[in-house]
Amino acid sequence: MTFPEEVLMAYADDELDAPTRAAVDAAMASDPDIARRIAQHKALRNRVHSAFNKVLEEPVPARVLKVVRSDPAEPRKSNVMPLRRRQAHRWTWPQWAAVAASLLVGAVAARLTWVYTEIPGPIEMRGDRLLAAGALAAALSDRLASEQTAAAPARIGITFRAKSGEYCRTFTLRQPALAGLACRSAAGWEVGVLAHTESRGGSADTYRQAASSMPAAVVAAVGERIAGEPLDQSSEAVARSRHWQPDGAAATR
Amino acid sequence: MGSSGEVLRERIIELLPRLRRFARSLARNAQDADDLVQITAERALARADQLRPDHPVASWLFGILRNAWIDEGRSRRRRESLLEPAELAERVGDPAGGSDPELLCLQDALSRLPEDQRLAIALVLVEGLSYKEAASIMSVPVGTLTSRLARGREALQSMLSETSGVPP
Repeated sequence: MTFPEEVLMAYADDELDAPTRAAVDAAMASDPDIARRIAQHKALRNRVHSAFNKVLEEPVPARVLKVVRSDPAEPRKSNVMPLRRRQAHRWTWPQWAAVAASLLVGAVAARLTWVYTEIPGPIEMRGDRLLAAGALAAALSDRLASEQTAAAPARIGITFRAKSGEYCRTFTLRQPALAGLACRSAAGWEVGVLAHTESRGGSADTYRQAASSMPAAVVAAVGERIAGEPLDQSSEAVARSRHWQPDGAAATR
Repeated sequence: MGSSGEVLRERIIELLPRLRRFARSLARNAQDADDLVQITAERALARADQLRPDHPVASWLFGILRNAWIDEGRSRRRRESLLEPAELAERVGDPAGGSDPELLCLQDALSRLPEDQRLAIALVLVEGLSYKEAASIMSVPVGTLTSRLARGREALQSMLSETSGVPP
């Protein structure tokens, strides 16, 4: 008696009804080839199952637990817009892939919902805010877009006034390869969006290229916040001389 | 969401290790797999009202994860077609993918299977679900599931005997 392979497979998976199973048992007794094929199906099943079983022993990453433990029904804090949450979600998946020039890894709102990436050195966390630090803070405060070198660790993109009045600047970091948007507040440069840029090799050329093409999440955040047009070189210089205080308020920092 | 939401939350937490195992048999590395689990948990909590009382929570969650994976399939393929072979090779060795050589070998073999065969193997061999449960999660008749499973197994078997039959 011969059986289609699917029946032998179902035998190995314990999926046959009693009569068919009995028929296979009988055939197996007289045909070693049937027994061998069933054993092969069982061996593959066991091999796959036991390899993946190791995953059960791994600790569940905190970021995953956090999603289950936070209540989506809870009203969002006022400064986290639903739009941003949705974008973050959509952009989460292709974390390090080569779509366009860059991809969002962590959409960092003033209040963090998720952190997908380690917070890099030039950015520090104070309370629930991300503030630029080190070379990034220095570049944001002191550099005009026109006076920076390609090799600088932090480069400034565009500068603009937000609808709420404060100055904001886009930036690119070389290492880790990130791009983002920071806005000036009393606390310092608050990083509102942070996204990975593609870094292939990290030569000055690719770096320049990445700086000129901002990740979509950063572009979207700029579009959401900008009032009017980006500043030109001279308005940028004036804003710097006023220490980025809105309306030229006396700089007392 | 009231106390039923809390019950669901607890069930999801209990099932996270299994969801991670399932996701690992679909996604190419651990990072992507955990993204899938995260999306699944978010969607499940947002759609708690769609869970029928007689529907097993595990199957429901596997179904959501399967859909999330299929949704991502299009962009994944687009992405993989953009990557150069050298990058793909790097990604296989991605430390986030886990360092267990047996697991990596199986993940690599599974990733070469067509989506529907990979799903059938993930549900039946990795998760140990019955044909009926697996077919219902895939929204296909049991006969379709068994033929996908048989073809997937055959392909997997020949890939694995190729690699293990030749000494390094």
